[in-house]
Amino acid sequence: MANFLAQFQSIKTSFDRVIIAVEDVSDLWPLVKEGFEERLPFKLGFLNNKTRNAVPVDELPVEYILTTDSRIRSRFPQEQSLFWFREPYATVVLVTCEDLDEFKTILKPRLKLIVQNDEREWFVVFVSKAPVHNDLATKMAKKVYAKLEVEFSSKKRERCCKLDIHGPDANFWEDLELKVTECIRNTLDRRIQFYEDEIRKLSEQRFMPIWNFCNFFILKESLAFMFDIAHLHEDSLREYDELELCYLETVNNSGKQRDFGGMDHGDDQAAVLELGKKALTQMVQDDDSFREFEFRQYLFACQAKLLFKLNRPFEVASRGYSFIISFSKVLALHESILPFCMREAWVINACSALIDATSSHYKDGLVAADVEQEFYRVQGDLYSLCRTKLMRLAYLIGYGSAIQRSPVNSASLSMLSWPKPAVWPSLPPDASSEVLVKEKMILQEIPQVKHFGIQRKPLPLEPTLLLREANRRRASLSAGNVFELFDGRANATDGSALPSPLPKAHAISMLRTNSSPGNFESMIDRPMRLAEIYVAAEHALWNTISDADLKKSLSSIEEFEQKYLELSKGAADNYHHSWWKRHGVVLDGEIAAIYHKLGNFDLAAKLYEKVCALYAGEGWQNLLAEVLPNLAECQKILNDQAGYLSSCVRLLSLDKGLFLTKERQAFQSEVVRLAHDEMKHPVPLDVSSLITFSSNPGPPLQLCDGDPGTLSVTVWSGFSDDIVLESFSLTLTATNSADEGIKALKSSNATTLKPGRNTITVSLPAQKPGSYVLGVLTGQIGQLRFRSHSFSKGGPADTDDFMSYEKPTRPILKVFSPRLLVDLAAAVSSALLMNECQWVGIIVKPINYPLKGAILHVDTGPGLSIEQHAIEIERYDDGSCDSCDFGVSEGSIDCESHGSAEPKQLTLKDAKIELPDWASNVTSILWIPVRAISESLARGTQAGAAVSQRQSVVEGLRTIALKLEFGVSHNQTFEKTLAVHFTEPFHVSTRIVDKCNDGTLLLQVILHSQVKASLTVHDAWLDLQDGFTHTGKGDRRPTSAYFPLTISSKSRAAILFSIGLENALIKNQVEAVHPDSILNIQYGISGSRIHGAHTPMDAEPVASDDSVKQLNFRSSLALLRPVLDPCLAVGFLPLPSSGLRVGQLVTMKWRVERVRDLGENIVSENNDEVLYEVNANPENWMIAGRKRGHILLSAKQGSRMEISILCLPLVAGYVHPPQLGLPDVDEAHISCNPPGPHLVCVWPPTISSSYCIPASA
Amino acid sequence: MASTACFMIVSKNDIPIYEAEVGAAPRKEEAAHQHQFILHAALDIVQDLAWTTSAMFLKGIDRFNDLVVSVYVTAGLHTRLMLLHDSRNDDGIKSFFQEVHELYIKTLLNPLYLPGSRITSSHFDTKVRALARKYL
Repeated sequence: MANFLAQFQSIKTSFDRVIIAVEDVSDLWPLVKEGFEERLPFKLGFLNNKTRNAVPVDELPVEYILTTDSRIRSRFPQEQSLFWFREPYATVVLVTCEDLDEFKTILKPRLKLIVQNDEREWFVVFVSKAPVHNDLATKMAKKVYAKLEVEFSSKKRERCCKLDIHGPDANFWEDLELKVTECIRNTLDRRIQFYEDEIRKLSEQRFMPIWNFCNFFILKESLAFMFDIAHLHEDSLREYDELELCYLETVNNSGKQRDFGGMDHGDDQAAVLELGKKALTQMVQDDDSFREFEFRQYLFACQAKLLFKLNRPFEVASRGYSFIISFSKVLALHESILPFCMREAWVINACSALIDATSSHYKDGLVAADVEQEFYRVQGDLYSLCRTKLMRLAYLIGYGSAIQRSPVNSASLSMLSWPKPAVWPSLPPDASSEVLVKEKMILQEIPQVKHFGIQRKPLPLEPTLLLREANRRRASLSAGNVFELFDGRANATDGSALPSPLPKAHAISMLRTNSSPGNFESMIDRPMRLAEIYVAAEHALWNTISDADLKKSLSSIEEFEQKYLELSKGAADNYHHSWWKRHGVVLDGEIAAIYHKLGNFDLAAKLYEKVCALYAGEGWQNLLAEVLPNLAECQKILNDQAGYLSSCVRLLSLDKGLFLTKERQAFQSEVVRLAHDEMKHPVPLDVSSLITFSSNPGPPLQLCDGDPGTLSVTVWSGFSDDIVLESFSLTLTATNSADEGIKALKSSNATTLKPGRNTITVSLPAQKPGSYVLGVLTGQIGQLRFRSHSFSKGGPADTDDFMSYEKPTRPILKVFSPRLLVDLAAAVSSALLMNECQWVGIIVKPINYPLKGAILHVDTGPGLSIEQHAIEIERYDDGSCDSCDFGVSEGSIDCESHGSAEPKQLTLKDAKIELPDWASNVTSILWIPVRAISESLARGTQAGAAVSQRQSVVEGLRTIALKLEFGVSHNQTFEKTLAVHFTEPFHVSTRIVDKCNDGTLLLQVILHSQVKASLTVHDAWLDLQDGFTHTGKGDRRPTSAYFPLTISSKSRAAILFSIGLENALIKNQVEAVHPDSILNIQYGISGSRIHGAHTPMDAEPVASDDSVKQLNFRSSLALLRPVLDPCLAVGFLPLPSSGLRVGQLVTMKWRVERVRDLGENIVSENNDEVLYEVNANPENWMIAGRKRGHILLSAKQGSRMEISILCLPLVAGYVHPPQLGLPDVDEAHISCNPPGPHLVCVWPPTISSSYCIPASA
Repeated sequence: MASTACFMIVSKNDIPIYEAEVGAAPRKEEAAHQHQFILHAALDIVQDLAWTTSAMFLKGIDRFNDLVVSVYVTAGLHTRLMLLHDSRNDDGIKSFFQEVHELYIKTLLNPLYLPGSRITSSHFDTKVRALARKYL
């Protein structure tokens, strides 16, 4: 059946629509043809597909052909069945008749004959030529039509319709279309059934030897074609898919070695979208199958055509891409028989064709977003595939230098194996001049030196060395020596050679001699050199490639670059459209490289920036390190100083491992050079990635309100060398209040940053209370104003951490609200010894504030002086340590646990004490030796007399004004005045215990201990005043000496002295010497300074067995001589026994008696008169009579007089009775005998009924 | 063991936080560059595919000549474990990913590790390499 292929193809090309045969019985066609054809194509029909599902067909092109037409008539029956799809799908029988008889006799038999002959689908169109106004003719026509209907229509199927030529009949055309469609549908069903059966039959024989793919193909494609012309494209596509599957199966399964194809000239141009490129007869082989190369492309072209008809260009693209990939693999399998690089050329061609076709068919926005995205992605893939293959070809012919050695190119090319022809093309005989040209090109090639002198191994563009690969595949070469092979490898283009200039120069000269034309011919058998390989490949390629465009693209480096740019742009654009930004941006980088090379630095810089932004944003530093130097170079050329600086800084901030130290130094020197020399105007720059800073590890600096301080900041420099910052400033941001604003800390001194970690201290003025974090670091390097926002690089572990900005910011500074920072208090509240050197304790209590370097100013008040003695300091333990050493005479708490390293002795300089550092955070106690000075002598009092304690307290009070300067820079002060109480050890009181008959008086001296310490009296003596004398031994000592006498704290003791009155003579002599008696006491004190009074420092024993030095205490005592006998005696006469009552008068009586004569020295004129006065509380008593008056009393001893006063008690209870006083007489001369009562009882008044008030009132 | 394999962990911000050449082939300096490039470009595909499936393991999402990119996307942080490999041992790769995922979770539990920052733990590195030897 392969013979039919040619015919089949011609039918296919000439035949493109459904045919409807017109059986023109009554020669009506010319009349109605126009009407019939102008309503084509049919619309709104439903056809059944292979699975008998109704498929709507929007538009069905139909052709009416008369049955008499030669196209239908002249066919052989065999052909008819094979190409049944081109037979008419319906037969329209056009009749007219105006007479019933004529119908019966002529028309009906003829119609029956036409209709019965086969299974054609037919129907009758009755054309009525009757004019509208002619009723008769119309009627007749109706009758004939009715007959016709009776004859040919059945209940099942209407086969007649009527067309009024002259009458309006709109329904007819619809009727006609319906009927035609129905016929087509039926015919189609039948034909599908037929083809299906045939195909099934053939399919069953698929694995038999007689199987002939051509037959299967013709049947299958006929079916597909039939679907196609019936506009059932979807079904048609399915048939083609099945056909492809079937073909692949036969190709893969048949054991026969078959011809692959692809050897013809022009085969390198893909026929993926061109159906008619090769006739089917050209593809056939052995009469039973097709050559794979052509046939698979043919099938794909058919599918693509249908997909375009279905308006699915995106599917063409995606199917096309996978087809190209899979077909490329097939080509690789047959590469050895195909022309050199046929595969690459084909792929390039196929991709371009596919891109052009699909993009021209594609309209934006018609499909769902994801489909569109996918379409663009495939387009991008096609472009980049095309690009890769183009690069490979270009490399083969020596344009490798024009290809950027970027990761994308390297990855694409170095993993793509070399073409594997059976034999590597050899050098054509007359190509020596071309070889020279190529060699020259190789030599002239400028080695790609990156900006900044970055030397990194260029990425490979080749899977293996081309030189070796080409020579290995040369048939003529017998086992090449490896050294020989590498003879010419000094060419830097090979990628493996190190770009060191010295060997290269050497190689140049060597090559020159080697490649002189003279000895060229004789070198056929030696390994080919690179230039020769290039030339050979070029020649072979020109033989392979028939596409003029591709040839042109490869004709020169410029043309290649043009094409390369075009493809890269296409790929990048499409990837961007498909939201594959990474793919897109990478290709943007490639475009930029071309622009860079071509000198279009502006565009290049823009594109490079895009690439860098992507890589930097996503932190792919390796990739960034490739591109960033290029960007920097462009910016430098464009004189974009800010951009260039920023690029340099970014280069510096990349991972240190990515560049050599030398390169990094180059970056830095660029920055410094620009900043200091080139730039005229300040340029701001963000260096957050390079210079980072953070607070020092550990707690934040704590300051109190108003404290200035020194802030220590860790700054990380990413520079490779030291860099000098002319100035810098740091901002502090308050975290608690937004409105606080930002404080800048400036340092105008030049600071040198070492690479890595630096600690910078900034002086900090006083800040408002709050918590602060570091804000921005700004500074200046030459004209460069840099700025860094990063602040949280904690340590070296995460120096390369890009996420550091997500770390919570740590406060660097805390400024507290004003509060009490320290407290000073007196350690002891009890009194200290007056006039002795005493420790006064001052508790220094820091309240969560370090007192480092604090200075205490001590200013003693009047009457207090600081002794020349070392000041002691110790840890204060709030009493917790008290138990361990109370009573220790040193008076210092010396717990061993407190570490002996703590200094305890301090010195006072200019009334200032510097507190030691260890005491900065602990409560400590300062012991200052002081002495309170009091000139006055203590005075004893009489026992029983009220002693004003207050007076002595006030006298013993001394003050110490303290001022503590502390804080970071001694800005904080705390002032307090402490009151310290001093006292004498004893308070002395006296009384005469007894008066003996012999005139000896026993004087009791009572000692009250005034201090909180144990006092020991060692000795006591009394220096008596005039008028008194010691009786007894006369050693002025007490009568009984039980010394030492210990008096514990706050208790009393007494000693007795026996004294007598002195006679007057002696008295006069010593009067001036002893106005008062003086009590001398020698005593010792044992007390702790933490409790109060203690042994004075200068009295402390030198050694433990030494007796305590005794202290002296003196107190003056006023002794009164005993009183003489009284002159007058006043006696209170008893009150009436009935008692006193309120409101009852009572007479108070006193008896005044002169006991003896008045002394001779009492001279008075009216000696016989005595003034009296009655004192009574007027609230208690009403006194009737004279309260004050004179009574007459004779001056003689024994005279007596009675005074009576009438009194009225006013209140009930115990009240003081009225007292009688004699104001003129000294109290000492009055003896009260018997004495008056202290209180008297006054009864309430008697109940008197007359005062009663009736209860009812 | 695969001759070429490059393993990389990419954080949700597309930042590589861990990378290791775990192939048996001798290390080539330039290979690392290419591998990074291929894995980086594969992120484009992951971003499309990750949301179309509930599976964490996306096998063979991208092919680059002979090399295949397999990806494992974690559920919570959308961290991507990416492996560029030339072996076809899907089960091994899956196990490898699962075990590395566990390791990664352990790293995340470390209070001193800041999620999204580079993994510098040498312990992690050793473990990953051991897993690679075991499964790939």
